[in-house]
Amino acid sequence: MNRHPGRRSRMLLATLAALALGVLAACSSSSSSSSSGSSPAATGSSSASSSSSSSTVSTSACGTKPGVAATGTPINIGAINTKQNGTDFSDIENMTGAYFACVNANGGINGHPIKFFPVTEQTNPSQIASLAKQLVTSDHVVGIAGSSSIIECTIDQGYWKQEGIYALGAGIAPECYSTPNTASVNMGPRYSSDGAVSYVIAQGANKVAFDQSNVPGTTYIAGGPNAIAKAKSVPIQDFTENVPITSADSIAIKLVNAAGSNGAVVLNFTPPEALLILQAAQKLNLEDRVKYWACSTPCNTDFLATALGPKWNNKLFVNAELTPLDGNTSPTAQLFDAILKQYGSDVSGGVGSFSEMGFVIGEIATHALESITGPYTIQSVSAAFKAVSNFNTGLLCQGYTYGDYPEHLPNNMDYTVTPDNGKFVIASTGGGCTLISNDDPQVAAYRAIAGTAPAVNPSTS
Amino acid sequence: MPSWSDFQPFIVSGLALGGVYALSGVGLVVLYRATGVLNLAFGAVGAMGAFIAWSIINKAGAPGWVGWIACILFGGVLTLGYGLIFGPLLADRGPLVQAVCTLGLALVLFGAMDLLWSSSGGQARSITLPSDSGGFTIGQVQVNWTSVIGLGAGIIITAGTHAFLRYTKLGTAMRAMANDREITATFGVPVRRVEAAAWFGCGLLAGIAGILLADLAALDDTTLTFTVVISALAAALIARLRSIWITFAAAILIGLVHDLITPITQLTDYRDMTPFVLAAIALLVVSRRQVFTQSREEV
Repeated sequence: MNRHPGRRSRMLLATLAALALGVLAACSSSSSSSSSGSSPAATGSSSASSSSSSSTVSTSACGTKPGVAATGTPINIGAINTKQNGTDFSDIENMTGAYFACVNANGGINGHPIKFFPVTEQTNPSQIASLAKQLVTSDHVVGIAGSSSIIECTIDQGYWKQEGIYALGAGIAPECYSTPNTASVNMGPRYSSDGAVSYVIAQGANKVAFDQSNVPGTTYIAGGPNAIAKAKSVPIQDFTENVPITSADSIAIKLVNAAGSNGAVVLNFTPPEALLILQAAQKLNLEDRVKYWACSTPCNTDFLATALGPKWNNKLFVNAELTPLDGNTSPTAQLFDAILKQYGSDVSGGVGSFSEMGFVIGEIATHALESITGPYTIQSVSAAFKAVSNFNTGLLCQGYTYGDYPEHLPNNMDYTVTPDNGKFVIASTGGGCTLISNDDPQVAAYRAIAGTAPAVNPSTS
Repeated sequence: MPSWSDFQPFIVSGLALGGVYALSGVGLVVLYRATGVLNLAFGAVGAMGAFIAWSIINKAGAPGWVGWIACILFGGVLTLGYGLIFGPLLADRGPLVQAVCTLGLALVLFGAMDLLWSSSGGQARSITLPSDSGGFTIGQVQVNWTSVIGLGAGIIITAGTHAFLRYTKLGTAMRAMANDREITATFGVPVRRVEAAAWFGCGLLAGIAGILLADLAALDDTTLTFTVVISALAAALIARLRSIWITFAAAILIGLVHDLITPITQLTDYRDMTPFVLAAIALLVVSRRQVFTQSREEV
């Protein structure tokens, strides 16, 4: 049999190849959207990925009765995280779960253990909606703490409102900040980008090239940096890139040309994508062709600092929403370390931005639950969450306030960090806790209704 | 519209990417010509090799060259293994079934990579070659050695494959099989052995492409599994899965056009369409020519 019988066969193969091209492209683009700006790190992760110093604080600090396991009726709490190829936020709920396990082993909530129901989704709206219903109707959760998902806030905010649930999580979608029933511990991509753009402008950049993943929501995210640059009369040019990035060299060249020698390039990407662009700039010796490079929070991982090397010390500036843990020996940092070691076996990324957010969520939820004196119901738990006011987490610049507001941006003060030989440290110039600019109308709107929480200046060393 | 000087740096990056697409496309064409199989797992094999190299270098602490060789050998051995096992089993099936089977392999490898090298915690991985830190300047344009290697590899592999097919006994056997497998077999050519060589060679090229693209593009399973195949397949398609030199030229064109569009603000968001647009144009031209030829024959 001749397997290459000629023209007809070749045409068949050509058609097949064209079809395959389409199929592969479809696979590629669908994966792209999952690893994009709304992917794990773009949620606005924070802090370093290296542990604090050796633990001297035991896990007993997380409960009111050290060493006494809680045996009362459980308090059911749920969380929904995105976990799919290329996008895995489950470290957040896993760390929240580790915190709750620590609480349970040390007296629980007034003797009641927290029974945690962490579930994962794959960016499927109907799946997310049914998971929310399952948590409430089947698992009988009385509160939501530890959620972090690309679209969960968008899908479930109506349901939470209907059920009277006030959720606590790490936000990504605009609805995580602009609706009454969800509050986040992080700032998310828009406000973190605000912080990065504000920083480079404050340092004297005369033009900004702002680049981010080409995913739904980019216009919303770019709205903040554009408003800030406009208010300071600094020109800003927006770019978007299809992800995964396939030609980082050309992107780096484009951004450097756009920013100019006295300008700044600001990136809002996940760590892998940001690293590609920064490494491409390094390979092409472009890092000094602009005055500053900056990133929203996702770049704040030691992996990135290590991969980039010392050339970027005081050249790259990264917005950080939570206190860096590198070399941090504060009691909170040590408790974090101890809980991670003893209860965090599921936290696959170890010490890092996601686990830090999960820890803060665990702290706030525990604090709220401990304030309840009667039965643990959706109503009492929601009331307790809403009543959290100026709570010092030890890892946020400000005290955390949930409040009863139509929108929530409780974390609106941040750090700026810069690489320092393989790790990130707070920038020596203007890197301390700084309020996100009111020039972003969304920030101004939140402060108009909720006020500005004072800085608590947590220990960073 | 950007000036000529604005475009110059993009020529370098486009040529480097085009070179790697070229060697990938050549691998696809040679395997197809020898076995009749369109290998859609090419990118996934290279991707997994690159991840193995990363683990060897970063986890086992081995020197870089050990990882690179492991990547290339992994590509060769895995592809050869697939060819030896599934080649005979699928020999009598149509090209569609054979191609879809390789897509199955690609998806299995894709899932395995996601499982073994999870992206949990927002961690990122990268492979950097020593050639990244060296280079030279042409005018205002910085050229690093990895870009030179990317283009050079494309040229060398294409020329080497051309010479191999033309001047070696094995290459002649491959060309003969491309023309007529049955007749070639009756002349005593060891068909299975020739096919195995084609599978192995294709796998080695997948490994080389994997390690180069892990540096030039990204050490990312999605990028390496799909993007490489899309561009290489488009180049092979433009060459109608026949000529390796046209595949080379098409791949370079794809890389160049993709990167040269970057500074044009109005088009920059559409540059990932480059392989599709060029392949579609080529298909239209080819089919138009065939319609004319058919019409003439009918007349």
